[in-house]
Amino acid sequence: MNPFALIIIMLTVVLGTLIVMTSSHWLMVWIGFEMNMLAIIPILMKKYNPRSMEACTKYFLTQATASMLLMLAITINLVHSGQWSTMKPLDPTASIVMTLAMAMKLGLAPFHFWVPEVAQGIQLSSGLILLTWQKLAPMSILYQISPTINPTLILTLSILSVAVGGWGGLNQTQLRKIMAYSSIAHMGWMTAAMMFSPMMALLNLTVYIVLTTTTLVMFMMNSTTTTLSLSHTWNKTPLLTTAILATLLSLGGLPPLSGFLPKWMIIQELTKNDNIILPTFMVIMALLNLFFYMRLTYSTSLTTFPSTNNMKLKWQLNPIKTTTYLPPLIILSTLILPLSPMLILLE
Amino acid sequence: MLKIILPTIMLIPLTWLSKNSMVWINTTAHSFMITLLGLPLLNQFNDNSLNMSLTYFSDSLSTPLLMLSMWLLPLMIIASQFHLTKESYTRKKLYITMLIMLQIFLIMTFTATELIFFYILFEATLVPTLIIITRWGGQTERLNAGLYFLFYTLVGSLPLLIALIYTQNTTGSLNILLTQHWSKPLAESWSNNLLWLACMMAFMVKMPLYGLHLWLPKAHVEAPIAGSMVLAAVLLKLGGYGMLRITVMLNPTTSSMAYPFMMLSLWGMIMTSSICLRQTDLKSLIAYSSVSHMALVIVAIMIQTPWSYMGATALMIAHGLTSSMLFCLANSNYERIHSRTMILARGLQTILPLMAAWWLAASLTNLALPPSINLIGELFVVMSTFSWSSLSIVLMGINITITALYSLYMLIMTQRGKQTPHINNLPPSYTRENTLMAMHLLPLLLLSMNPKIILGTLY
Repeated sequence: MNPFALIIIMLTVVLGTLIVMTSSHWLMVWIGFEMNMLAIIPILMKKYNPRSMEACTKYFLTQATASMLLMLAITINLVHSGQWSTMKPLDPTASIVMTLAMAMKLGLAPFHFWVPEVAQGIQLSSGLILLTWQKLAPMSILYQISPTINPTLILTLSILSVAVGGWGGLNQTQLRKIMAYSSIAHMGWMTAAMMFSPMMALLNLTVYIVLTTTTLVMFMMNSTTTTLSLSHTWNKTPLLTTAILATLLSLGGLPPLSGFLPKWMIIQELTKNDNIILPTFMVIMALLNLFFYMRLTYSTSLTTFPSTNNMKLKWQLNPIKTTTYLPPLIILSTLILPLSPMLILLE
Repeated sequence: MLKIILPTIMLIPLTWLSKNSMVWINTTAHSFMITLLGLPLLNQFNDNSLNMSLTYFSDSLSTPLLMLSMWLLPLMIIASQFHLTKESYTRKKLYITMLIMLQIFLIMTFTATELIFFYILFEATLVPTLIIITRWGGQTERLNAGLYFLFYTLVGSLPLLIALIYTQNTTGSLNILLTQHWSKPLAESWSNNLLWLACMMAFMVKMPLYGLHLWLPKAHVEAPIAGSMVLAAVLLKLGGYGMLRITVMLNPTTSSMAYPFMMLSLWGMIMTSSICLRQTDLKSLIAYSSVSHMALVIVAIMIQTPWSYMGATALMIAHGLTSSMLFCLANSNYERIHSRTMILARGLQTILPLMAAWWLAASLTNLALPPSINLIGELFVVMSTFSWSSLSIVLMGINITITALYSLYMLIMTQRGKQTPHINNLPPSYTRENTLMAMHLLPLLLLSMNPKIILGTLY
């Protein structure tokens, strides 16, 4: 894409999200969401083929519907409370509609059907932005309305998302779809935390963004979108196979890696509020997630996957791709569990 | 404890920065030196523990297990030398790094004061073990073995995390030193029964209990020798150690909830011993014998008497050394004939006489011959179970008989009789192998002189 156009579009995406996160007028929030959505369509369309167009169309339709639901929620809130300020508590009906709108934007079950299909149709770098940056704005709205969220609704969304994210990813070999289902499951965990401790939801979001960024940057470094091409990593960049193993295990939530920290904290918050069955269920469903990450590591790092002889003769040339910040990202995504006492700073 | 943990962590740079020709020598020598550092811990108080810091402590229960795992690291490195000869040096160093990482987590697990810290490290030991089994195992079944191992353990232990956090919220602290004095009796209720189950299932899967033992034969058989050694000797004992620590908080629910598990263990030990008599695969035989011995430990911990706790602790240490030695012996067979089938290499006594001596010693300790510590463990467990219920002597007696039967079966099958015709040109025993067996046997024999140190907290 023309670099000037790209800069303006990226800035609009960032600006849209920042407007959502920082406004005190609900109309500005809606405007921010619209800016964000319209500006990201060209980014999703980096390649001109029908599959990308289909992905962009699906994304546009779902996000536009969600924005309209958001507008409905804002209007209901205006009618009941007479003001547009985001600082005041939301009317309960408006809160339900707004939660549904945010659920559609985030890709929570039962509104999750667009996530795998959109993620599959776009480039890896666009997928990175879709799965990480695009979650910031809706999560910030959920954070702001968290005192008035209907617990039944958000629990339903969370339980369904965790279950769908676990079972849905089991039949996938395409890496982008696997990351999409991983995103659905993690969003489920975040909304469960939102009910009791929004701070832990933000912690989960941060760790999830770091982990997903690391994973997708590693996939971009290999230019791989299927399990089969990921299994050739040992030939191209052997050092990366260890990093992929560590990051995928962290994404699955295995101690002592970083991915365990948000799960542990969320379980702690839930049990402090006498909620025992929910974390047990969520944690067992997270094992399904771990299973398909393990399958990826099996084909990548833990075995020398069967490959044609041509594949084994690859030349190891100097790398051209710039993978910015990969080493610090890998460290952040595996080694920050010992820093967990620093969470005391959040109190 | 930092004086032990930091040197163990520094073994990793030692591995990667050693000259290629010195990798094995450096790591073995330095891990032996670290074991030497840990020996003073054996000087335990009778009724107190050595509290090093807020995070680490060692008492008469954790110290023998800690010493066992520290002793095992150099032995694992010695045992792995042969099957890694064809690998590149990077891969050798990676393998040794996995062993060292496992060792770091094990040391921290056995000395952890706080139960959630213990939990995190308990789970952390799974990752290097999984990598060792899946990456360096021998056959294609290792993939399935790794999955079974990981998921059986995780499904059991995730409810433990929730139970621990719940207990922390209700009692205020999960410090082991505090809970042993603070713990209030649990009320009789369905939710407390579920809490008991959540706490214990993790360790039951790890031990393993008879109905949940499916991962063990797979993992033990498919793992390379170091993996088998550490699995049999130390990782199973993590379950026993955890149970011994957590039952302190779970009275009096244990006396009512323990019955199904005791039944499974009492029946299971006979079942698994009997299966040993029908095994063709040598490693599988030793794996099932591990299940059988650990079932005794489960029974001992469930009945919660002073003698049974002493028996459980002694049996864990004794079984650790014996089982590891048997795996090393099986591996010495495997390295020569590249098959685990027992009947393929028979009459080894005439070809490898010194190894036959080690086979004899290992088989005798496996069947709990006096005066070895295996006997002390088993005898205490049998006696205390008899005092719990007189009928159990029948089951225990049958188990001891069948244990003797399969140990002798294994010995006679591999060592005695006419040789199979194709093994006449086997290479003789290496000094390395003889050292390995001696290093396993010496602690076993020396501990028979002073079993006080392995009898645990209630001596």
